Amino acid sequence: MIRQLLVEPYQLGFMRRALLEVVLLGVLGGVVGVHVLLRRLTFLTEALQHTVFPGLAVAFAAGQSLLLGAVTAAAVTIVLLAFLTTRLRIDQDAGLAVLIATFFAFGVVIVSRRTGYTSDLNQLLFGRILDVDRRQVVETAVIAFVVLVLVAVAHKHLVLVAFDRAQAEALGYRVVVLDLLLNAAVAATVVVAVRAVGTVLMVAFVVTPAASARLLGRSVAATMAIAVVLAGVLGWVGLSASFEASVNQGLRLASGATVVAAFTVGFCVIGAGTQLVRRLGARRGLAKAAL
Amino acid sequence: MALIGPNGAGKTTLIRAILGLMPLTSGRIEVLGVSPAKARGRVAYVPQADVLDPEFPVSVLQVVLMGRSRRIGWLRRAGREDKAIAMEALRRVGVADRADDRFGVLSGGQRQRVLLARAVAQEAELLLLDEPFNGVDATTTDLLIEVLADLRATGVAVVMSTHDLAVAHLACDEACLLNRQQIAFGPMGEALTADLLRETYGGSAVVLAGGATIVTAR
Repeated sequence: MIRQLLVEPYQLGFMRRALLEVVLLGVLGGVVGVHVLLRRLTFLTEALQHTVFPGLAVAFAAGQSLLLGAVTAAAVTIVLLAFLTTRLRIDQDAGLAVLIATFFAFGVVIVSRRTGYTSDLNQLLFGRILDVDRRQVVETAVIAFVVLVLVAVAHKHLVLVAFDRAQAEALGYRVVVLDLLLNAAVAATVVVAVRAVGTVLMVAFVVTPAASARLLGRSVAATMAIAVVLAGVLGWVGLSASFEASVNQGLRLASGATVVAAFTVGFCVIGAGTQLVRRLGARRGLAKAAL
Repeated sequence: MALIGPNGAGKTTLIRAILGLMPLTSGRIEVLGVSPAKARGRVAYVPQADVLDPEFPVSVLQVVLMGRSRRIGWLRRAGREDKAIAMEALRRVGVADRADDRFGVLSGGQRQRVLLARAVAQEAELLLLDEPFNGVDATTTDLLIEVLADLRATGVAVVMSTHDLAVAHLACDEACLLNRQQIAFGPMGEALTADLLRETYGGSAVVLAGGATIVTAR
């Protein structure tokens, strides 16, 4: 039964590649996501989520590499956001809102000029994790490897900046360079994830496992390890569930969305669990006090 | 030395300038004989504990080890020697038994001690403390004063901003009165006179019947 659910689907090549891609994104998103949460950079991830869309649309329309389109759009976003917030002194939220709407509208205009409008839009918004080819998996693996090495080398310093920026500056670290490194890591993660699971679902890969792990982890490294394991296991379960439902039960479940749903269920279970433990702990404390 | 002045006097700004984190409109700062940028690493900074996120997943020992991150370098992990120095620093401030606890679960006073331990572990020549006695308990205040005295005995220079005159008296020999500009600088007894305090604090400096001056909180 379990074997049929969790192992057999992966005898198919496309399922194997999808699983590999989901696990790679899970590892990358888990590690980078913890930094995103510690630095409160979720807004940046969300901005990239929407602004990468026109980059994809242009690349798609021009028959160019989606990766290239996404990278270009991400770079433009980071530069524009920095310009809006530092030079024009616009509030980060407001700057973000302006960028998101503008970029997204631009993307829709481009896509809507094409004939296969709905299907194209669908792919860009929600991805096609089951259509991932070998080359894409290799590209994801290479990018994930480079980002993880960079983040690992700078780990101590990124944590230091997140915890106490003034101390990091006082110790003489180039905080701006570390900021740039982290922003680039976030952008790279968004770009590879967007290609596989689309612009809408991507943010779940970065934020949800990391947020769940944040409830359990006592150190930054432990939080990352938990996030990675959660993303990997829940990604596997989600993919398997969508396969089982769609193929054997006749109930079509979109694979990317099912994986994200599995992440969310994990988050809810962990959230409820920690609440319960806290309540029980508090009650035990009260009982002790009463004695 | 104590930097004394009301809120908005520029105490924190001055400390940030000494750290080389503020652009100077005019003048020049020399720290330990060199420019602030060159003195970094030899200068330790102790912020107020409550500016740091208590939810951050980091243990007390890890916070103290952050003080040694320049000595540890980019690729190495904290070694046995670093950990021994960090533990010794924690012992000096009396929270060694909490080394493995999360930083955020400690009380405000204990967190302030940990931050001092971090500065001790950095083995700096100059210590800059921003309002280290704000909102901490009496035990911690006594302990901080004691540790700072030990440090000064070993040749470490200590500069702290504070608006607590009593603590400044206990912890420092010299004072700098500050309110947008330097009003007085010198040995504690000469700088903290009733006239100079009134000039620094305006109406909230009150001379008591016995001749002592206190500053009322506004």
